[in-house]
Amino acid sequence: MRQFRALLQRFWGLLGSRRADADFAAELESHVVLDTEAGVRNGLTPEEARRQALIRLGGAEQARQVYRERRTLPWVEDLLHDLRFGVRMMTRNAGFTWVAVLTMAVGIGATTTAFTWINGVLLKPLGGVADPSRLVTVETVTSNGEWVPNSYPDFIDFRDQLKSFDGIAVSHVTALSVGKEDHAERVWGELVSGNFFSVLGVQPEAGRLFLPAEYADAPGKFPIAVISDRYWRSHYGADPSIVGKTIRVNQHELTIVGVASPAFHGSIPVTAFDLWIPYMEQPVLNGVQEWMLRDRHDRNMLGIARVKQGVTFEQARLELKTLADRMAVANSNVSLGMSATLMPLWKSPHGPQGLLVGPLRILMGVCVLVLLIVCANVANLLLARATVREKEFSARLALGATRRRLARQVLTESLLLTGTGAALGLAVTPWMGHVLGLLMPPGPMQQLVAMDTRPDLSVLAFTAGVCVLAALAAGLVPALQVSRINISARLNAGGRSGAGSRGRNRLRAVLVAGEVALALVALVGAGLFARGFAQTMQIDPGFNPDHVLLNQFYLNTNGYSLQQRKEFCRRLEQRMLGAPGVTDVAYSDGVPLGFEPSWWEELRIDGYAPKPNENMNIFRNVVSPGYLPLMHIPMVEGRDFTDADNESQDVGAMIVNEAFVRRFSAGRNPIGTRIHGWGNWFRVVGVVKDSKYHYLGETAPPYFYVPFRQIYREDMNLAFYVRTKGEPDSVLSTLRAQVRELDPNVTVFDAAPLKEFIGASLYPQKVAASLMTVLGSIALLLAAVGLYSVMAYSVAQRTQEIGVRMALGARPGHVLGMVIRQGLTIAVAGLIAGGALAILMARAVASVSFTNSAMGSSAKLVGSGANGPVIYFAAAGFLCGIAALASYLPARRAASIEPMQALRAE
Amino acid sequence: MGDKTDVWQGTLSLMVLRTLETIGPQHGYGLARRIEQTSGDLLQLNYGTLYPALLKLEQEGYIRSSWGTSENNRKAKFYEITKAGQRRLKAAEAEWNQTTAILARFLTPAEEA
Repeated sequence: MRQFRALLQRFWGLLGSRRADADFAAELESHVVLDTEAGVRNGLTPEEARRQALIRLGGAEQARQVYRERRTLPWVEDLLHDLRFGVRMMTRNAGFTWVAVLTMAVGIGATTTAFTWINGVLLKPLGGVADPSRLVTVETVTSNGEWVPNSYPDFIDFRDQLKSFDGIAVSHVTALSVGKEDHAERVWGELVSGNFFSVLGVQPEAGRLFLPAEYADAPGKFPIAVISDRYWRSHYGADPSIVGKTIRVNQHELTIVGVASPAFHGSIPVTAFDLWIPYMEQPVLNGVQEWMLRDRHDRNMLGIARVKQGVTFEQARLELKTLADRMAVANSNVSLGMSATLMPLWKSPHGPQGLLVGPLRILMGVCVLVLLIVCANVANLLLARATVREKEFSARLALGATRRRLARQVLTESLLLTGTGAALGLAVTPWMGHVLGLLMPPGPMQQLVAMDTRPDLSVLAFTAGVCVLAALAAGLVPALQVSRINISARLNAGGRSGAGSRGRNRLRAVLVAGEVALALVALVGAGLFARGFAQTMQIDPGFNPDHVLLNQFYLNTNGYSLQQRKEFCRRLEQRMLGAPGVTDVAYSDGVPLGFEPSWWEELRIDGYAPKPNENMNIFRNVVSPGYLPLMHIPMVEGRDFTDADNESQDVGAMIVNEAFVRRFSAGRNPIGTRIHGWGNWFRVVGVVKDSKYHYLGETAPPYFYVPFRQIYREDMNLAFYVRTKGEPDSVLSTLRAQVRELDPNVTVFDAAPLKEFIGASLYPQKVAASLMTVLGSIALLLAAVGLYSVMAYSVAQRTQEIGVRMALGARPGHVLGMVIRQGLTIAVAGLIAGGALAILMARAVASVSFTNSAMGSSAKLVGSGANGPVIYFAAAGFLCGIAALASYLPARRAASIEPMQALRAE
Repeated sequence: MGDKTDVWQGTLSLMVLRTLETIGPQHGYGLARRIEQTSGDLLQLNYGTLYPALLKLEQEGYIRSSWGTSENNRKAKFYEITKAGQRRLKAAEAEWNQTTAILARFLTPAEEA
């Protein structure tokens, strides 16, 4: 306790040091005066008395030193002193400081941004929930091993029978229309099971969340809603009397029972929802037939469960799998071969994080690479500074400073540089958070992406750690160099410089070679990703997305019945066909290469005997008659759908793709084949060419189309396409006007060119390629700066030597060649090391894949490798060019040295 | 040199506290003289070492200091023992007595034991 008090006092002592010094000087002086007076009283002369008093005091300076050390904390004082000195050195060499701090800011800023994103996506995917480490995603697994969402009856079985979980909840993401009809607003929300909030462990900010009574499976009985804190603040001004008010959602009044805690954004990582409504309201709000809630085919629920304390992930997974396997047998008519599994939240294939995980890992790797280059660069700068300051250091050593003290000084200065850089980098990080949103594909995902990018404790700790590591990495070598200075050699050398620093030059050359190696890795990486992206871009999707405008309607939010929706489509199609510049109009349920999952139907095909356990769930789309011509998907055989393929037909029409024919009607004419699905019979009327459905790299799966008017259901989406002669955006205003004339309550929210929309499937590759290009350029720039500074410095040091050479008859061209050769030697050494590293990196990256939300399939980020060597050699050649340029400028200066001047300068 | 003893580490603060308790507020020089006299001039006190010890005691809150005037009208810094210092002194005395008592048992001739 007393010691702590003393420690505090000593910290205080750090502040008023000058006054305390004066105080103590006065005390010592009064001591001497008193002693002198005593001596005089004893008969000594004043001079002798004072002399003896000083002797008895035993050295005022030593006393003062001991006193000072006791008064404050010497190491803190040293640190403060070093810092003060460091700041003075920094401001004196503003150019050096700017370069070092800015490079550090780039390196640390990039790394921190990457970590913030990883933190938000992988480490704490959901905010505002209790103990997120025990939350898992529940996925149904098809007999092919694909992950798909769950059906509501499956959920009830899971919920009622599983013992390893504290609870299991489901949610269904949906667009909702909030407010009065004529100025409704699109809001994204989740339709959730009643136990949703209690499973997640969310706290209300106001009011209450859903109660156990609302867990019941009674459709339409719970007209209530919970709103997000964000929505509460933006739309109700955080009005505390919100609870009990009504909110108009999809033309139905719901009572707001509470506001979720500010940190809670919903059950999908990196995504923010504003409204939660019991799933049992789905029939009322979205016009979905009640029987669909009982249909095990209707798989549209994302499952999230909380594993019980003390139960391992593996035990829970096994119990779920056992139950799901039993259910598959019990409901074999719909679920044959199906199973279920658990996975960590960030692994869920639904939502943006599936796309983000792969690129984020690569991003982190690249950022570490850039940070290493930055450290090498700053180490280089510090080494150069250390050479300039060698005299200062020697003088300090000669005056009694210890080598440790000097090394500490250098490390403190390097920490000061990295610290300033880190502060700058941190300041930029929140702004970088928005960039992530810009990188998302257009459409609903872009509006939904929300990440908490305010630096939290773990981010700050990470940055501090990186900062210290970088300071060590950059400062250690220079600090060791300083502690090895040979005083007498330095002081004796007088103004002559250059001779003693050969070892240091070699060290700097090694650092620069390292930078070149890392830059090569970054460049090769950028090349590989860009090539992978280009390769994918060149794949023919099998349809033509150019000149097509796409808009998704959510007519359910306007209270439309199924018949009204079909009627709306038919009339809008007619109106748009008459508009100028429009060539084709069509509508469908799914969008090819879109971001949303594709759906399938279990088929029975006449004349085809499925093997045991064969997956007969075939992907499909529900399309209007104009769809295939609009997409430019060519018919191979038979006919397209017509208006006659409507509800009045007993037997439906179906169009299949070539892969379907290859698999199910080998050798037979497929036209006329009878196929059973949706409890109905269909007849194949046509065959179309294969195209891409889920992602560009896929090999064509069997696929079929059915007519919109025959199969369209309440729970399906509605995508409306307009093909134009000119730019697709040119008909946007026409589309808006026509829709408003049809029904002023329907709004065109997010129309986008189809070309942009399907970019979603390219997103991970696009991000990886563009990030790598940006960071590769930074790496290149840093390496060039490093090389230039070393060459320029070495030329400056050798001025005298070069002068002698020229006086002895060396030609400028000769000198030029010599300097450039030296630079290239360093670069080539770096390139050889970098080449080996790059090959290792390419192997590691080749295994990184991303998850597309379409059926959880995995796709590779890097295209497989023909022209690989070309990329390596191109990158190496490019770096050599940069190296030659970086050494040419100093070389030219060397060659223009006037021998007489160089010698006189000594 | 031989007949005078250097002050043992740690005992100086005890002496300071004791002296301050006995004679009341006193300045550094007076304290130094007084300690030397009390020891019967057996202790050789380097006056310079007294001040860091005083500072430590003050930081620990056992004494406090203030500027004042000496008996012959000189400005000097006076030290004074605090309540905490008195308690500390009592505890230290007890400890010290115990230690010397124990040591005495070891050092007295064997036949008396």
